[in-house]
Amino acid sequence: MMLSLLPQLIVSGISSGMLYALIALSMTVVYRATTVVNFGQGDMVSAGAYAVFVFGMGFGLPFLVAMALALALLFVAGFAMQRWLMQPIIAGPHLSLAMMALAVGYTLRGALRLEWGNETINLTRPYPQDVYMLGNVVITTDDVAICGFVLLLFAALFVLLQVTPLGKVIQATFQSQRGAALVGINVPAFHATMWGGGAALGAIGGVLLAMITPLTPDLGQWTLVQGFAAMTLGGFGSLGGAVAGGILLGLTEKLLGFYVNTMFIEITGYLVPILVLMLRPQGLFGRRAVVRV
Amino acid sequence: MAGASQGTGLRRLFWVIPLAMLPLPLWLNPYQQYVLNTALVYVPVGIGFNLVVGNLGLLAFSNVAYFGLGAYTSGILTASLGLPWWLTIIPAAIVGGIAGFVASIPALRGVRLFYLAIMTLAFGELMRWTYIRWETLTGGSMGMAVPTATLFGLRLDSDRSRFYAFLILTVLIVAGTDRLLRSRFGRAFLAIKDNELAAAAMGIPTDRYIVLAFAWGGAVVGIGGSMFAISVGHLSPVSFDLTELVLQFAIIMVGGLGSLAGSIIGAVVITIAPQVFISFPGFEELVFGLLIILIILFLPRGLASLLARLHPAFVERYYRG
Amino acid sequence: MRVWQAIVAFFAMALLTLPAAADSTQGITATTITIGSIGPFSGSASGFTPLNYGAAAYLRYINDQGGVNGRKFDVIFADSACNEAKGIAAAKKLIFEDKVFMIMSNPCSGVAMAIKPMLVQEGVPWMGASANPRITTPASPGMFHTVYPGSEAGRAMATFAMSKPGTTKIALAMHSDDWAHGYCDAASEYIKAHGGEIVATTVLEHGATDGTAQALQIKASGAQAVMGCLYQPELVVLLRDLEKYQINTVVVAALGADFDQVMAAFPSHDWVKQHFFQPYQFQAPIATGPLKKFHDIFVKYLTKDELPKNGDPTNFYYYGVPVAIVAVEAFRLAGPNPTRESWEKAVESLKGFDTGVLADTETFSADNHVGVHKMYAVGLDAQGKETVYKSWGVALPNSE
Repeated sequence: MMLSLLPQLIVSGISSGMLYALIALSMTVVYRATTVVNFGQGDMVSAGAYAVFVFGMGFGLPFLVAMALALALLFVAGFAMQRWLMQPIIAGPHLSLAMMALAVGYTLRGALRLEWGNETINLTRPYPQDVYMLGNVVITTDDVAICGFVLLLFAALFVLLQVTPLGKVIQATFQSQRGAALVGINVPAFHATMWGGGAALGAIGGVLLAMITPLTPDLGQWTLVQGFAAMTLGGFGSLGGAVAGGILLGLTEKLLGFYVNTMFIEITGYLVPILVLMLRPQGLFGRRAVVRV
Repeated sequence: MAGASQGTGLRRLFWVIPLAMLPLPLWLNPYQQYVLNTALVYVPVGIGFNLVVGNLGLLAFSNVAYFGLGAYTSGILTASLGLPWWLTIIPAAIVGGIAGFVASIPALRGVRLFYLAIMTLAFGELMRWTYIRWETLTGGSMGMAVPTATLFGLRLDSDRSRFYAFLILTVLIVAGTDRLLRSRFGRAFLAIKDNELAAAAMGIPTDRYIVLAFAWGGAVVGIGGSMFAISVGHLSPVSFDLTELVLQFAIIMVGGLGSLAGSIIGAVVITIAPQVFISFPGFEELVFGLLIILIILFLPRGLASLLARLHPAFVERYYRG
Repeated sequence: MRVWQAIVAFFAMALLTLPAAADSTQGITATTITIGSIGPFSGSASGFTPLNYGAAAYLRYINDQGGVNGRKFDVIFADSACNEAKGIAAAKKLIFEDKVFMIMSNPCSGVAMAIKPMLVQEGVPWMGASANPRITTPASPGMFHTVYPGSEAGRAMATFAMSKPGTTKIALAMHSDDWAHGYCDAASEYIKAHGGEIVATTVLEHGATDGTAQALQIKASGAQAVMGCLYQPELVVLLRDLEKYQINTVVVAALGADFDQVMAAFPSHDWVKQHFFQPYQFQAPIATGPLKKFHDIFVKYLTKDELPKNGDPTNFYYYGVPVAIVAVEAFRLAGPNPTRESWEKAVESLKGFDTGVLADTETFSADNHVGVHKMYAVGLDAQGKETVYKSWGVALPNSE
């Protein structure tokens, strides 16, 4: 029985891993643009889910419309956060940047709790619930929806980055902000836009999470840790690495949890970065960081 | 140079503060006394944290690990071995110091910034997981009761009596850390924070000083943990989670990074301010977050910088005001 | 020298004088009785605050009826954030500044255990909703459980599971905190004492979003039933995965989840109606029969912020009420000049007192401070209707 469940664990691990990959990607986008990790990302994730709830079940709008509105809202939130809260202190100590992001997240969570703290909400899925069998392996429409959506998103982002002119601008600015500024790219606007993008991506993660978990203000509490772990595993700052790291993290959690003990699931997100940073700091696909003196 | 001697003379004035606090308990009810005690507990916690993050300039997020280890050390030694509390203070400091040393290992290998932050944060969380899992030692998630503290035979069974014990410890830690910061060690920390490579190039053995800062910070926070154990009287892993880390961040950010006075001010403000919200349920997280945002935007050097603007005597020589 | 002498004198005086202990009519004036209500108003346990609100609503209702013996109740909330250090501050504020008569509600066992020594020392009564049975067993002066501590509920969970014929292999799915231990430890004790076997123990952490490894471990262990000592979100996650893999095991959850809200997460009831049950604390399905009047009380006496933003008052609101009902009854019995002692004696004198809410009646004595023991179970019947069961397959006669 033990080994026969392996395919199921792998499928399930990839499914969770897709979500981690999305979160890691959202954090990497922000990190590549501004070398800051958004410590408040977990709360952006929760906020995204609540936004869809409010627009969808609250105002009664169809799911895709609600989602689009929620993404727009979170984009604006991320943009505004970078432009008015992070940018002014960009020259200060790194701790301040980390704390500011954390504080914004904290405030957001406090607001969510004030409004919805007494209850647990179930977001209705826009797709029917069904189950498919692939041999012995169970796949639900949740798995299909999540993996499908995330893969679609990755494909779209890939096209955006590699093919469109905008994508070239983004890549260029990722590589050298000074160079980009010299050729006339509005770097501050770029920073704010990337934060908006990161927030929007996080919001998508939140909605997908809310499909499979009840919605509470603490929905995103572990996503920060999981995002870190995935980023570190895949190579901090590497977009492809974030995806690979996320999927690997999902697999590790499932396998470790089932074959060893479920009590390790909670700390997988902590053990992974420690091990990676001690053994192979650049992760799987990152480059060895060179510190310019 | 006149300023230097004026500084030393005025510095002696600061000893008035703890003396002035001596009669305070006469006017405080047990609730207020408990809050004040909690503020005193967090002074060494802030000082230890600030030493590494503020003075040395490294992002070590492992403070709660030292806090918890110090608390559990005192708790376990008093509960299981029956040692009187005052004898467990040094062990708590030692355990905290060792934990600090462990946390410094990645830093010694060159890990910095967000990587160091993640690793040290993970260290803290792994310790919390250990408190939960090692049930026979820590009581697991049910927690453990900490027996009443004794100080040289005197039972510290009221908040008032604990206040005096905490006051003495806190004064000693403040004085000790002040000494440290004003010595060549403190200057080395500042040099490392400013430009690590240049400091090493000048011949400063950066590794040694990094370990020293981490170990001292860990020891001091460990003592804070020991105080926490007898103030609260009951230890459980919940007290040492990420929310606690955020609280400790708030202390040093609101007080002032790199400032000794800042750690003290921060501890007092962050302990007392939330009491306002105790009976206005639900607003605390929101207001707390807003407070930190405002401080970072408008008072990035913390409340201690306000103090520094008042009078040159308040400018700490090791803190760039 | 004089200065030093003065300082030493202060020191000695301060150390030696002890603050006066709160006296036995603290919190009681000619017109008011002040009640302190500690709860996790902030932090991730904030879902339990309806336990505080339910009690408060009932007290406001009593005030509207004229109070008890001419006195009205004044409820003061204090936030513990489910954290011991904060909880102690909250309790001290209530006792020493607000001068309350008693502490009420207080979900969060860690906080309750942490404040217990102080409450016993000061003589302040406590009537709460925390799961940890050690708060009231062995009986401590002034500490009362008017609802089911985790041990009773845990036993009820195990009893119900094993009442299904042939059930001996049982798995535990739990958080690693004291709340979960309160339920699952009692359940596993009962199981082992009645010829059952714990075949697996899986852990699900707060905030977990996936239960695959846990569900598959349960499947691999061959468990016929699972004791689900989990909060609501994690319970739903586990159930979802058990349903996904069509694992044929009965899940009996603890009291950390609201039955109707869990049902709402599974719009097609097929799997849950055969597999999900909870111990049931009430006399009838909520908002029906004898419980209807409480629904109206909540709606009338609670503010918009105290009620859920969506839907009707849930399970937790009702569960918060018995504490207030018993306290009020004790005041009635204690007469026109109540003191702490007379109030506590009044509580201990209650025998077979029907709160009108709970499945069991309240019975106390000098050595028994846990008022209720017997519970039912709730689940969906074959038609998908919410049904209250006395044991496996045996529904309550008037189940609506």
